[in-house]
Amino acid sequence: MVRKASVEEIINHWILAGSCILLIITGYGFLFKIEQIYALFGSNMTMKIVHNWAGVVFTVSLFATLFNYLHEALTYDADDWAWIKMGGGYLSKKHTVPPPMGKFNTGQKFYYLVILLAGIAISASGLSIWLVHDNRSLTLASHLMHNLAFVIFVIAVPAHAYLGTLANPGTLRIMIYGTVPLEFARKRYPKWMKKIGKI
Amino acid sequence: MWLRPRGAIMSTITESRKGLLISPELCIGCRGCQTACKNWNQLPGQRTKNSGTMQNPPDLTPTAFNIIRYSEVPSDTNAMRWLFISRRCMHCGDAGCQKICPAPGAIYRTKEGAVAYDKDKCIGCKLCVAGCPFDVPRYDAQGKISKCHLCFDRIAEGLSPACAKTCPTGAIKFGDRDALIESAQKAGYAKVYGEADLTGLGTLYAFKDAPKIYGMNENPAIPESVIFWNTVLKPLAVIGLGGVVAGALLHYVTVGPHKDADEEVKK
Repeated sequence: MVRKASVEEIINHWILAGSCILLIITGYGFLFKIEQIYALFGSNMTMKIVHNWAGVVFTVSLFATLFNYLHEALTYDADDWAWIKMGGGYLSKKHTVPPPMGKFNTGQKFYYLVILLAGIAISASGLSIWLVHDNRSLTLASHLMHNLAFVIFVIAVPAHAYLGTLANPGTLRIMIYGTVPLEFARKRYPKWMKKIGKI
Repeated sequence: MWLRPRGAIMSTITESRKGLLISPELCIGCRGCQTACKNWNQLPGQRTKNSGTMQNPPDLTPTAFNIIRYSEVPSDTNAMRWLFISRRCMHCGDAGCQKICPAPGAIYRTKEGAVAYDKDKCIGCKLCVAGCPFDVPRYDAQGKISKCHLCFDRIAEGLSPACAKTCPTGAIKFGDRDALIESAQKAGYAKVYGEADLTGLGTLYAFKDAPKIYGMNENPAIPESVIFWNTVLKPLAVIGLGGVVAGALLHYVTVGPHKDADEEVKK
């Protein structure tokens, strides 16, 4: 077994995921005025409190991910370009040999950057809506940005959940146990394994 | 859908719809309306700074539901013309604040046509600030909506709103909306501001000149960014999620989970 994710990383991932899902559910509730979702939280007043404070948890958790993924997500080489050209090579039936990847593949690095940027946008606009009084242009811009980032989240998050579970058997355990079998790791992350001397 | 005014609801209100007719030409700038509003609504005074104008406070605040705007504009006969314009909630027929508000009952329309609110139900999301074409709603220290509500508690009892009641010159007149429009037309105002905008405003203005001179928007409308996210981004939030879930399902049953090349060979 090889340790791919640290315990802190796993805990933070589920804090981020949990708060994110809570925010998406309450977000849909507000956006479409869904009374059943209001009822789920007691009233839309309590739902607003849950939404605001889940947002704070999400923001702090998102900040914590910077230490885990930012450096890796900003490191690219020729193999990444090849990966993009073949579209990752694992969504079609046709078997292609993907270029050797590091600890994270190109798609995962892009996903992280999208979540980071959309996350910063949605956190900043959310805090502005919550805390800034009597500034109409800022409120208008914040509501627009909050909605824009929301659309990105509801597309990116379920795609990430599918790719991390059903689409790629054997990957979910990384976010549960943090470890993967050595053979699996050698196949998926050859460049990283080479770097840490396991190949 | 979202942009269309609620015809059915409005038509039932129209018959009993009350309004205010503001005539800047009659206003002497005494600001009795501001004081009367504070009196009736028990709003505290606030400390402001002298900015070289009689206009005080400079704009609407959570405790100033109405203000007199003092505009200095040049005229044909004089270097300066002083205009006094009462600014407050317009009680739009097609009220952006009410339409966009996600809290049931927080912003509501009374049978007299006033756009009133219930602070206890307000969740403080500030969507009404975004949806208002006139930048009227303010938020108090508790994070709740504050604005003119046409003294809905007084008019329900057949009284005039505090501001209209106190106005010594008739610059603020309260009454049946249709009758107010008619009286303004009889008095020689060809076009009454707010007669048709946003399916008719509850606060009407008898302007002698172009609305712009009085600092009013020629064509008031709900901000475009709000319309954009309501008509484009909102459906996209459903289509996007649905599309990804459907796509994932389709991918799972047609292509199936990822297998490495050598696993395939072993079969």
